[in-house]
Amino acid sequence: MSLAELKRDMEGCSRCSHCKWTPHLQIKSWRFAKGCPSVDRYNFHAYSGGGKLNMANSILDQRSELTDAVAEVVYRCQLCGACQVACQAYRDDIDLADVLLEFRATCVQEGFVLPEHLDMIESMKREDNTVGMLKADRGVWAEGLDLPDINRQQVEVLFHAGCRYSYDEDLRGIVRTGIRLLRDAGMDVGIAGREEGCCGGRAYEVGYQGEMKNYAEDMASRVRASGCKTLITPCSDCYYTFKYLFPKTGQGLDVKVLHITECLDSLIKGGVIKPEREVPLKVTYHDPCHLGRRGEIYKEWHGEDKLMRPVKYKQTGKLGIFEPPRDILKGIPGITLVEMERIREYSWCCGAGGGVLEAEPEFSAWAAKDRLEEAKDTGAHALVTACPWCERVFNDTVLETGDELKVYDVIELLRLSVEGE
Amino acid sequence: MLECKVLTREVYEALEGVLGPENVSQEPAILDSYAWQPAVNLAKEAWIYRPAAVVLPQTVEEVQQLVRMCNEHKVKYKAHSTGWASWGGPGEEGVLQLDLRRMNRIIEIDEKNMFAVVEPYVCCSQLQAEAMKRGLNCHIIGAGPNTSQLASVTAGWGYGWTGLATSYSGRNPLGVEWVLPDGELLRLGSPGSESGWFCGDGPGPSLRGIMRGWGGSQGGLGVFTKCAVKLYPWPNGPAQVNVKGVLADATTEDVPSTHKLYYLFSPSYEKFGDLAYEIGNAEIGYIHCKGAVGAMFGLLAPRAMRKLLASPATRAILKGFQHMTLFMIAAHTEREFAYQEKVLRKIVDRTDSYILDNSHLPVHGGFWWGVNRSVFPAMAFRPGGAFITSLGSSAEYDCCVRQAKIGEKIKQEHIDKGTFFDDMADCTWGGIYEGTSNWGHLEEIAMFDRRREDQTEEGRTAYLQATTDVSIKNALGFGLSALEHKMYLKHGPIMHDYHRWQAKIKAAFDPNNASDGSHYIPPIDELEKEIEGTNGS
Repeated sequence: MSLAELKRDMEGCSRCSHCKWTPHLQIKSWRFAKGCPSVDRYNFHAYSGGGKLNMANSILDQRSELTDAVAEVVYRCQLCGACQVACQAYRDDIDLADVLLEFRATCVQEGFVLPEHLDMIESMKREDNTVGMLKADRGVWAEGLDLPDINRQQVEVLFHAGCRYSYDEDLRGIVRTGIRLLRDAGMDVGIAGREEGCCGGRAYEVGYQGEMKNYAEDMASRVRASGCKTLITPCSDCYYTFKYLFPKTGQGLDVKVLHITECLDSLIKGGVIKPEREVPLKVTYHDPCHLGRRGEIYKEWHGEDKLMRPVKYKQTGKLGIFEPPRDILKGIPGITLVEMERIREYSWCCGAGGGVLEAEPEFSAWAAKDRLEEAKDTGAHALVTACPWCERVFNDTVLETGDELKVYDVIELLRLSVEGE
Repeated sequence: MLECKVLTREVYEALEGVLGPENVSQEPAILDSYAWQPAVNLAKEAWIYRPAAVVLPQTVEEVQQLVRMCNEHKVKYKAHSTGWASWGGPGEEGVLQLDLRRMNRIIEIDEKNMFAVVEPYVCCSQLQAEAMKRGLNCHIIGAGPNTSQLASVTAGWGYGWTGLATSYSGRNPLGVEWVLPDGELLRLGSPGSESGWFCGDGPGPSLRGIMRGWGGSQGGLGVFTKCAVKLYPWPNGPAQVNVKGVLADATTEDVPSTHKLYYLFSPSYEKFGDLAYEIGNAEIGYIHCKGAVGAMFGLLAPRAMRKLLASPATRAILKGFQHMTLFMIAAHTEREFAYQEKVLRKIVDRTDSYILDNSHLPVHGGFWWGVNRSVFPAMAFRPGGAFITSLGSSAEYDCCVRQAKIGEKIKQEHIDKGTFFDDMADCTWGGIYEGTSNWGHLEEIAMFDRRREDQTEEGRTAYLQATTDVSIKNALGFGLSALEHKMYLKHGPIMHDYHRWQAKIKAAFDPNNASDGSHYIPPIDELEKEIEGTNGS
């Protein structure tokens, strides 16, 4: 796909600005009515989803040129997909999120790249991860767990930790707990250890689309070698890559892909995992964009006129993973789950996605602060989520602001209920 | 690349000096995001004039400074709030675009006196959400909850779903803060005498007729920076609605027992009109709107509708439901609700109409919340991304019904020519205002897709001209067809030369012609030349 192939989508923009807001049926206050961090932070219409359609259209019409200033607007976006949800409530013929992806690819093709993204791509090429760490240390997170290594034996389930969980020492405990819960539940789950690679999704998102091909091929070969029937990941970015980007680029994996919360929820509902200890805590749940609305499986449709595309092929975001993490929390004795105003497919982004954490950390923190304010507004004592990128930016922001709000992964609270302190 | 008029370096640096460089841009692609305006634009291309620069003021003092600079440097300016439709953008080259989105506060909600004071970028649903927490509601124009509350009441024209209870936009402003075209600050109504915001007409200057008149100046007469708007009862309504979904998929269990939606079907236009009069006379209801079966199915299932309407039999059956009214009761108490429903049923009987109690349908909750939040009109984008509206004068309701009848015929002719999507020529929107007065409006909406070769600019222009001509010929009043495209040249001479008076006002208030009036009126000297040119041709 190219930007030019999406020109009709751009020309369809009604300039209604729904893309800037939480869907209006769901607006519950003045304070938390906004839906798009990008335009909310930088204000010019160009920063909104619709504004980016208009800019891309202007460039294709040769009214204006791609410049550093335009690329800055394009990259100051978490690709969270909130704009697409609001737009597609009304429209069948605009795939806004695809335009944002292709706009970035065009920036890269034309040489408008960010040094921080280049560093990340270099790290991916050299060390097979997005976070600038050594490939040799990829499997360190699993030391001492005695997990089956798929390089030596076949397994039913392949566990893909992802770059952030593999290397972020603050979050390592979460992923270790997660896989231990699965193993204790009797699942035949293995890892690739040092040989696990990046999913490549982040490269695709920042515009280096071609780079993802190698990672997709590697992933497919690991899946084949493992003999697994199911791929489980605790990382919402990887989940999105496997469920959306791989199939979209014709590289879909031929196995069932689950986020770990789906699996844990099903084990709890099946009575295999028993959260029995009280965890007395009032919490609110933050939907990670790439697990929620962007985690919706890619729906392939071919045709000329999107106005004639059946609704079931639209990426509305409704089919993302929303209930499993909530059901896990509701199943933990003592936990009171209260909802924020912007949730599910119309959730506010944590700020970390789309290469923003790497290139514009202040903007990431700005978006995270807004979310933390919303969380505090519920009266919750903790914000719970299910994505290492969200956890990273929330933890850092809480540290910076001195907020008393705790940040947890769903897995951490489940562990407290299953295993105690 | 498109070459456009730009600001001088001196002016641009002065703008940066006022607002900081981060709030000023002249990057062509960023400016073009302000030049894409498909609505209120008949042209083949949705591009309008590219602004010379765009600025983001945050305070009234900054707006004053910008306006004064424009006057000094002979640069035209145009302000917009949420910025939907071409009237929010430049009408010529070289115009400075003021994007007011950083002026986004609700200054005050006075529960007791039932009004709120807002800045330009407070959208209708933000104010409504805060009002409902206090048992109150606000008017939302048909364009939807994404639009600016301030812009709709000070500078535009619009009727909303709850118009039966909340009237139309022009009846809703109270005190107004106005940066005049030359930069002077004027507060209209009670804030003009520092008496609070509760009244638009005094103590203090009352210039409501000049400020907005009937249709508003569409941003062509300075900049409105604050206004107070009326709030209305939200009878027994929930402070916050727990709803799942985002639009047509919405469901909720929170419908109060004293609220209910109905579809009322009448056998003819005449009976449809009679029904409205009786409802108005009985002083019942919260929402009264013309329902449109063609539009409803066309918007909910556009693909299926294209096929269904090819069948004459299906078409005939659907036409049988054409004279439809959407009606809602929102009562304070169960007794009041029972009374209103009883009266409604008697009226329906008397007018040979019949009633469909929407609460029996599974969609009732979501639909109830959707109409109260006014989210559905933007679905008119669904068939092809664009629509125009026409007719729709505020008038005695029989006149509105005549407009609907005539509008249907004209639109059908243009549907047959391929100018618009086929909605059975049944996409009339409007209702009666203010409960008792039996006045209202019915506008004719026509949907099209600018990307299609067969739906042409010429066709759209011909339709708008035809609806204007028919309004004049049949004395249907001054409607929405008349607000744009220099229709004052047709309407003015038969309406006391209102355009000349407007142009004189423009000249008096805007001596340097700095406020871009291309969607309002030119100054009198330019207008006289236009009139002369028209007479000459």
